[in-house]
Amino acid sequence: MPEQVLLEIGLALAIVAFAGILAARFRISIVPLLILAGMVVGPHAPVIGILDFRFIKSAPLIDFMGRVGILFLLFSLGLEFSVGRLLKAGRSILVGGSIYMAINFTLGMVLPIIWGWPLRETLVVAGLISISSSAIIAKVLVDLKRTARPETEMILGLMLFQDVFVAVYLSIISGLVLTGSASPPSVLKSTSLALGFMLGLILAGRKLAPLINRLFNVPSDEVFMLMVFAFLTLVAGFSETIHVAEAIGALLVGLILAETDHLDRIEHIVVPFRDFFGALFFFSFGLSIDPLTLGGAVGPVLVAVAATLTGNFLAGIIAGRMAGYSYRGCTNIGLTITPRGEFSIILANLAKTGGLLPVLQPFAALYVLLMAILGPLLTKESKWIYNQLAHLFGWPAWKEINKPDRTI
Amino acid sequence: MSIKETELPGIGKKFQIETRSGDKMVIVVHDDGRREIYHFDNNDLEESISMVTLDDAEARCVAGILGGMAYVPKALETVEMALDDMVFEWYKVEKDAQAIGKTIGDLDIRKKTGAAIIAIIKKDEKVLNPGPEEIITPGETIVVLGDRKQVKACKELILHGGI
Repeated sequence: MPEQVLLEIGLALAIVAFAGILAARFRISIVPLLILAGMVVGPHAPVIGILDFRFIKSAPLIDFMGRVGILFLLFSLGLEFSVGRLLKAGRSILVGGSIYMAINFTLGMVLPIIWGWPLRETLVVAGLISISSSAIIAKVLVDLKRTARPETEMILGLMLFQDVFVAVYLSIISGLVLTGSASPPSVLKSTSLALGFMLGLILAGRKLAPLINRLFNVPSDEVFMLMVFAFLTLVAGFSETIHVAEAIGALLVGLILAETDHLDRIEHIVVPFRDFFGALFFFSFGLSIDPLTLGGAVGPVLVAVAATLTGNFLAGIIAGRMAGYSYRGCTNIGLTITPRGEFSIILANLAKTGGLLPVLQPFAALYVLLMAILGPLLTKESKWIYNQLAHLFGWPAWKEINKPDRTI
Repeated sequence: MSIKETELPGIGKKFQIETRSGDKMVIVVHDDGRREIYHFDNNDLEESISMVTLDDAEARCVAGILGGMAYVPKALETVEMALDDMVFEWYKVEKDAQAIGKTIGDLDIRKKTGAAIIAIIKKDEKVLNPGPEEIITPGETIVVLGDRKQVKACKELILHGGI
């Protein structure tokens, strides 16, 4: 009955909103709470009166809205993404970013290989472990009032570097995972198709930028929005038909539109949609996970969390020192880059679509849950952590600042 | 004073300012319109000792105060805005100005001074790009465009009837 579906969606939104309130109250990221909320409800949950917490009838709809959420998340990433900006950020970011990705990606590859997971699963886990959540990190920096600190430039530069990595990696992975075959020729074919599609669209976008500029030059905000979203959904949908992840299609549309004159206007309209559907994406991901399956993932997740924290911290120290930051600044870099979020979940979702080992979803859920909570917490306590390490390694102490004497 | 501008992708823009007195200040303009002003320790340039958060409206208000726009001394009746060499200036026609009752054409402002009157703001109407038949009346505000010398000459002409 349609009325029931509407009520269920309303209930889901109420839960999502409640998670938001809790997140704001306890000053933590909303992402882990949304996943947690999604896991708590679901087919195993009770029905209380008219409130059906099982979400059976509305599950396909919530799932679909979550898919739309991915589109918007990647679309806004594409809008933000800029190779020109990255090059401008300078050599220290390129070097630091390479070190950072190399350390984390190697760790991400080694662990699943030790566990004996197959190749495609290994690659998904490697991506899942090495890609930080730029959304959580930006928020943490703002919340902790660290935007003015010198090393914040480096942290955000690393995120910029990582975005480029995400774009390339996602296209490779989607080629690998979505074709459903592991034979080298077909993998090569699908991966090159994905990369070719990407390059083709980017080139076409550049060539057609003046045309797109004119086409989207409509005074009505309403029509403008409809045109942008139609473009987004069409390209994403088309990507899917040629076995390129729809997320990549969305990313590409973002990249193309970022080159046009309408960037500011688009960024303005996309934010509320990204936040709304993005929240439902995390919720729907949680909903798709049966909490009882989490048990099997606990061991690997704990190892992965420990490895990620160590790897990120080391990478932060090395990259930071090379760029000439103080040990204090480097500690902040190494701790701030630890949260994981949207990309890890997107990869896990991709793995599900491609029919990879089902353990990947609870693994990703638990991993993100821990990292999204631990990361910001460690970032907040960076001063204490630094002082402990300073003791150990003989770094200069983080002295308490003498407040200037205000009395005259 | 030195100002260093850096982009903070995903957050906004950062302006690092070192004043002549040796103080270090960082202003972060967030994409959502918020502004933050950080004041750093003079002895430890990595640690901020105090900060202020302003929303967009507050920031504009503070900017106005700092820029001297919110409080304009009475002595300065005119405000200037420089565009390279060109200057806009606007001023009120005093009751005793010699040009009152004459038209712009009579005064031959364009030819005599080189400046152009681009608008006249009266009590209840605005005349954009007034023609030569426009009569100067007391109390109206005249907007003049020209370089500094021309604008000054135009002011003289209206006040004293000649240069």
